[in-house]
Amino acid sequence: MMKQSNCRKKKMLCMHFFLTIILICGGYNNVTAQNQKTQVTGVITSLSDKLSLPGVSIIDVSDPRNAVNADFDGHYSITLKNGTGSLRFTMIGYKPIELKVNNRSVINVVMDLDVSALDEVVVVGYGTQKKRKVVGAIDQVNNDAFKDRPNVNATLALQGKAPSLTIQQTNSEPGAGLNLNIRGISTLGNNSPLIVIDGIVGGDINALNPADIESVSVLKDAGSAAIYGSRASNGVVLITTKKGSKSKPMSIQYSSLTGFNSPKYFTKPVHGYENAMLRNEAAFNSGETTAVFSAAKIAELKANGDTEWFAEEIVKPALQLNQNLSFSGGSDNSTYLVSLGYLDQESTFVGPKKGQERYNFRINLTNEYGKFKLTSTLAYSKQKITDHSSSTGTLMADAFRVPLYYTQKDKDGNYLTNDVLQQFNSLGILEQGGFRRYDNDDIFGAFNAEFKLSNSLKVKGVFGGRLWSGSMYSRVKEVNFSPQGVYGADRDTNDETRKSLDLNTQFMLEYSKSFGNHNVGGLIGVSNENHSDRGIGIYKKYTDPDLGTPTSETVIGENSYNSNGSSSKNSLNSLFGRASYDFKDKYFAEFSFRYDGSSKFRDELRWGFFPSGTLGYALTKESFMENYNDKVGNIKLRASYGILGNQNVGNYQYQTTYFTFQNAYGFNNSGVSGTGYNFANPDIQWEKAATFNAGIDADFFKGALSFSFDYFDKVTSDILVPPQVPGVFGTGLPMFNAGKVGNKGWEISATYRHKGKVLNHSLMVNFGDSKNKVLDYGGKERLSGVEELQVILREGLPFNSYVGLKRDGIFQNWDEIKGAAVPEGLSVQPGDNRYVDVNKDGKIDDNDKFVFGNPFPRYTYGATYNLDYKNFDLSIFIQGVGKRTMMIRGELVEPFHYNYGMTMYTHQLDYWTPQNPDARYPRLANNGTQSNTNNFRRGSDMYLYDGAYARLKNVQIGYSLSDDVAQRLGMSRFHVYVSGQNLLTLSKVKFVDPELSEFNNSMTPSGANSGRAYPTQVYYGMGIDITF
Amino acid sequence: MKMKNILKQIKFIPVVLLLLVSCEDLDLAPENQFTDSNYWTSVDKAQTFLNTAYSQMQTSQYFFYNEALSDNAFNGRGDNAGAASIGAGIYDPSLGRIKEEWNNRYAGIKTCNLLLENIDRVPNADATVIARMKAEARFLRAFQHFQLTTWFGDIPLIKKDPSLEEATSVSRTSHAEVIAYILSELDAIIPALPKNTQYAAADRGKITVGAAVALKARVLLYEGKWDEVVKTVEPFIAMSYGTYSLFPSYEGLFQQQNEYNSEDILSLQYVPQFRMWGEFFDMAPLSAGARLNALAPTQELVDSYLMMNGKRINEAGSGYNENDPYINRDPRLTNTVVYDKYNWKEGDGSSHIIYIKPGTSVGNAADEFVQGSSSTPTGYYTRKYYDTQHLTSLQSGLNLMLFRYADILLMYAEAKNELNQMTSAVWDQTIKPLRTRAGFTDAAALSFNSALGQTGLREVIRNERRSEFAMEGLRIFDIRRWKTAEDVLNGYAHGAKFGVSSVDNGYLRVNLRTFDPDKHYLWPIPRDERLINTNLSQNPNW
Repeated sequence: MMKQSNCRKKKMLCMHFFLTIILICGGYNNVTAQNQKTQVTGVITSLSDKLSLPGVSIIDVSDPRNAVNADFDGHYSITLKNGTGSLRFTMIGYKPIELKVNNRSVINVVMDLDVSALDEVVVVGYGTQKKRKVVGAIDQVNNDAFKDRPNVNATLALQGKAPSLTIQQTNSEPGAGLNLNIRGISTLGNNSPLIVIDGIVGGDINALNPADIESVSVLKDAGSAAIYGSRASNGVVLITTKKGSKSKPMSIQYSSLTGFNSPKYFTKPVHGYENAMLRNEAAFNSGETTAVFSAAKIAELKANGDTEWFAEEIVKPALQLNQNLSFSGGSDNSTYLVSLGYLDQESTFVGPKKGQERYNFRINLTNEYGKFKLTSTLAYSKQKITDHSSSTGTLMADAFRVPLYYTQKDKDGNYLTNDVLQQFNSLGILEQGGFRRYDNDDIFGAFNAEFKLSNSLKVKGVFGGRLWSGSMYSRVKEVNFSPQGVYGADRDTNDETRKSLDLNTQFMLEYSKSFGNHNVGGLIGVSNENHSDRGIGIYKKYTDPDLGTPTSETVIGENSYNSNGSSSKNSLNSLFGRASYDFKDKYFAEFSFRYDGSSKFRDELRWGFFPSGTLGYALTKESFMENYNDKVGNIKLRASYGILGNQNVGNYQYQTTYFTFQNAYGFNNSGVSGTGYNFANPDIQWEKAATFNAGIDADFFKGALSFSFDYFDKVTSDILVPPQVPGVFGTGLPMFNAGKVGNKGWEISATYRHKGKVLNHSLMVNFGDSKNKVLDYGGKERLSGVEELQVILREGLPFNSYVGLKRDGIFQNWDEIKGAAVPEGLSVQPGDNRYVDVNKDGKIDDNDKFVFGNPFPRYTYGATYNLDYKNFDLSIFIQGVGKRTMMIRGELVEPFHYNYGMTMYTHQLDYWTPQNPDARYPRLANNGTQSNTNNFRRGSDMYLYDGAYARLKNVQIGYSLSDDVAQRLGMSRFHVYVSGQNLLTLSKVKFVDPELSEFNNSMTPSGANSGRAYPTQVYYGMGIDITF
Repeated sequence: MKMKNILKQIKFIPVVLLLLVSCEDLDLAPENQFTDSNYWTSVDKAQTFLNTAYSQMQTSQYFFYNEALSDNAFNGRGDNAGAASIGAGIYDPSLGRIKEEWNNRYAGIKTCNLLLENIDRVPNADATVIARMKAEARFLRAFQHFQLTTWFGDIPLIKKDPSLEEATSVSRTSHAEVIAYILSELDAIIPALPKNTQYAAADRGKITVGAAVALKARVLLYEGKWDEVVKTVEPFIAMSYGTYSLFPSYEGLFQQQNEYNSEDILSLQYVPQFRMWGEFFDMAPLSAGARLNALAPTQELVDSYLMMNGKRINEAGSGYNENDPYINRDPRLTNTVVYDKYNWKEGDGSSHIIYIKPGTSVGNAADEFVQGSSSTPTGYYTRKYYDTQHLTSLQSGLNLMLFRYADILLMYAEAKNELNQMTSAVWDQTIKPLRTRAGFTDAAALSFNSALGQTGLREVIRNERRSEFAMEGLRIFDIRRWKTAEDVLNGYAHGAKFGVSSVDNGYLRVNLRTFDPDKHYLWPIPRDERLINTNLSQNPNW
């Protein structure tokens, strides 16, 4: 790969040289064309880096046809009719300058970067817009957010960067599920936004090298997202990768980050002897007549001290390395960027090296030839992941539950089993139990051709896609434990491979023209997107213990499959367009639509139309506001309304299908196949979300403080939701279009920038809230069990609100119990939970359940503070959630959970005893006792915690060499820094990471809320960043 | 002019562009699945559909854990198949097991109904084969309804596949009507079903006429229709429905090498390597490879086994010694329950002693009773159905018998006694061969004692059922139909004598149980089901 890129680099250099010559010749021609009159020469340099600026246009203001370009070294020479006119210097990205010549023959110019936010270009659907013309609700995150951060993927890098873009982890394990959500919950199924990378739908955001990202646009409202039609209802994330700059010499950038991830647990078990006493107490409270541990044994445990906590022994700090190298530049009609990236993120699990490695390679080129412009992108990403052969949840839970009087491994290297784990040893499995290796290749390419039919009309063709090929090879190796127990006796050797192809073809016609003060723009296009994938899996048992090769006892598992056993296809044809109009940049109107046909629905219901309209008003452009505009700043008001769609359902659901599977049953001791069936919903159709958005953008102090506020109200109807099917029906049904969910919210973002001589600093704050409510579910409700509790889907309530009994303190004595309402069939004792008897019928049952909060975060916020002082820089990033109900369960709440867990944790010691009547938790009692059933099996708000938190996510302190020193060393920038991640967490729940979510993106339980969760990673590292 | 031209062109551009994009076909079908139009085309495909209906008959988890619903066993870790909650009487209509049993059985009924409603579409099929397959499906549908009505009483009776609307508004049919339907179905299919001797070897495990008659007998037994039980099982014993006999070895009856023996009328089919069950991973002694104990026999079960002399342990002259309780007992105890110092035999001929009494082990102490540990909470493990040819994690391909010939004999004995027709001849046809097969030799245990009278014999027969079928999941249905559940499921379930002598004479108290006869004889209709279908009434006191 290196070789290839070197070759590419050489080619780029040649091309660059060639183009430079053309540029110089062009300049020469201009010089010879005119003579005799006043000649002005000079050098143009950039204020920021003091380097010469090539390619600046120099125009004679009195005669605009007379214009030249500065050469490669920033020199220019222009001949004027007389020496009294003015010259205008313009360059993209720099503030234009106009100077009176005043008969000077040499005019050297220093140009300043144009940092005015209002002239930023914002990426929108199928195009770009100047920020001052943007009237949709769009947040753009620029590459600063990704720079120098130890982020392993682009999703994590986006956390806290945009208001109402919520990113939650279900687990801290590398590669674990990430929830990406824009503006809360508005559908009952998948709430993931549409990801578009360089104009192509269907890329993998996590395969991207974060260092390659130029900008990320988050399209939140119907106005901006409707052009993506049927898939836009959860919002759209547009990612644009970096490109070279025109007329710039090659810039080489190298950055490297090295650090360590240290696992952090939020709780720990009590001392071994203490646990023994607690076990005795629970047994005594349960009416047991024999002690679990004798007094002598407890004394012995105390004297010997604690052994080890298995959970701490199976993890270690692990190395994380990010390296990036990029070359970029361009001539006046072409640009290039070549980048290489390498990530090595080791797993914090002990044993043979595990973790992920990712290699990224990217070439982005633009070429212009007259009216023709070609942009081509090619990105390759290779991901290699090595994992253990077991399940992380099991390994964690098993190690988490063992009290501190056992050891995992003896002096002779035997892996020990004990009274808690008779058959398992997480350490043995991690060290010798085999592996799972993933090897994924991801090739992403896009080819974008533009032809100017006239000054106002452009035709564009885009062809692109993604070819993904992944494989998994795994071996389960046999590990024998002592005195008993064995892992992996089946000696599985498994292989899976899968290949998928996403293709995207688009043709567009773009029109833009100004008629005086009237600016008109239009876009119309067609596209097809299709996806296909196939995979095979081979599962063999009893393979050779060393090689994993077949032996005489080897059998091929019944679950092996050929490629027709795992294949799918879908396709979407679309027509889309946008029309925009503005008057003097003051009044704006925009209309956009998409007409989509999807293979997921039957012929007659296949097509859906998704329109939107947007209005904007730049108030401060009015003449009566001129004074305000000069003294204070700009104000823009905007509003949009539109219908967005969602088709996040499986393929083929409109057809009833029958599938066969092996070994459904057996006759005469040999397996026979069975047939299963998936019932159809022939009427399955688009989900539709009517979205209203109103916002205000304002800036103050000449753009030093900018502020924006948005309010949205979204009603999603015909929601695709599995229907409430009675058991009597006998099978499940696919999604039906039923139900309506409303989702309202607001978000604020504010940025303050101060630029001084020695001190620059900025503060970016964002804050958002969304609140959803089920508006219609056919008058029905759906309760689904989530471990001890339930979640409810009921009209008028937020989606998946928790349901359970409400705790009403703890029974303190027998008098209180007498006549009190208790769960049916149970007898309780002092120290047990008392519950609220809602209907006052004297018993606690299903009719006494309360609806509590819901797990989706509200009041999410992020704040980034950057400070540059002389050569030092500091950046602090804080993010958090203001309100969330978090369900925590398992051994984290229940002592000796179900008799599976055999230790208590330090956070559980506040339990009821006659001496501790105001305890947080009820008294100790064994599993299966009436008290235990009352306290822990009857799900109550005891399992619900306040999930609000604030986290110091990232701190970074850096030092840059001053420009002259760097230059002397042959560099244009040299920056070193140290950074830390997940450094400090403030939360009410102290014993679990509050950032983890117990639900995934479809709001289905993920199981991360117990002792099964992987420890949180605290990162410390340092990096350098050099630009040549 | 120029502008006008452009505008003119714009109109056509979308049309042209649409042609440019290769319009991928939007009519896509899966390539590994059939659709309704091309599925019902062959008998083989209909057979695989029927196989699914077979697979839905019963899970191995229910088969084993149903025992912990009764006084025979205790589910001491987790709440497997709801056995801990139901056994202790601390459940409500939202218990997972209640809903799961309901849903799984109706899912099985659906498969049968779909088959019955579509199988005639198969072209060019052998009419006899189709008739037999229909009879098999109707048996399975009747079996599912029987299980449902036994647990829930009145239930929706689903004779044909319902629409969603019908399923959402159906109301409960009375228990009597459901039973009448089951019996009429069984009578209707008997002519179409082959005898066990008529099936090819490859078909072993399929529904036979014997299975249909055995189910009919069980339905009648549970209904207490004694004369009809007699009428049904008499021709069975006369071998009118196939050839059946007691397998000579009680121990061997539950071993893999003896599958499909002459006693097996209908069993859940498992296949080593390919379709296995693994409940022994949580039932066997830990030193035999179990990971923990979740299902353990109780002291009450152990105490129910007779002495070799046919006396109950608390009878005068039984010779029972509380300090050496496991000798001279009904040999079926040893073939069913693992007790302290049990000689555990493995498939390879090796054996080892299971030390359960605290502090007595020599070597591996994993099996020892330790309060609250992962070993047995009662001091007992399970032997019956331990597969000596098991694969990893004690996975087994052993068939699990739902109906065996011993049951026919015991049904006959019970019915005859209830009709007050128990005679020495009936005894010698039923209890005596069972006890002989079990290994009793003492004449006192083998011979009929008319002095016991109907009531005394009732106890004898009932206890015989308990010993014969222990850990086979039948006990809970027996105590429910005898209406003795409130006697045996109230108060503490006990374990071995490892406790302090001041409490219950030293027998471990393992689980406090309650059984309310006004409520617990019927399970509640699942809460979720009644939320969806408001026409479903609830059972009394739930």
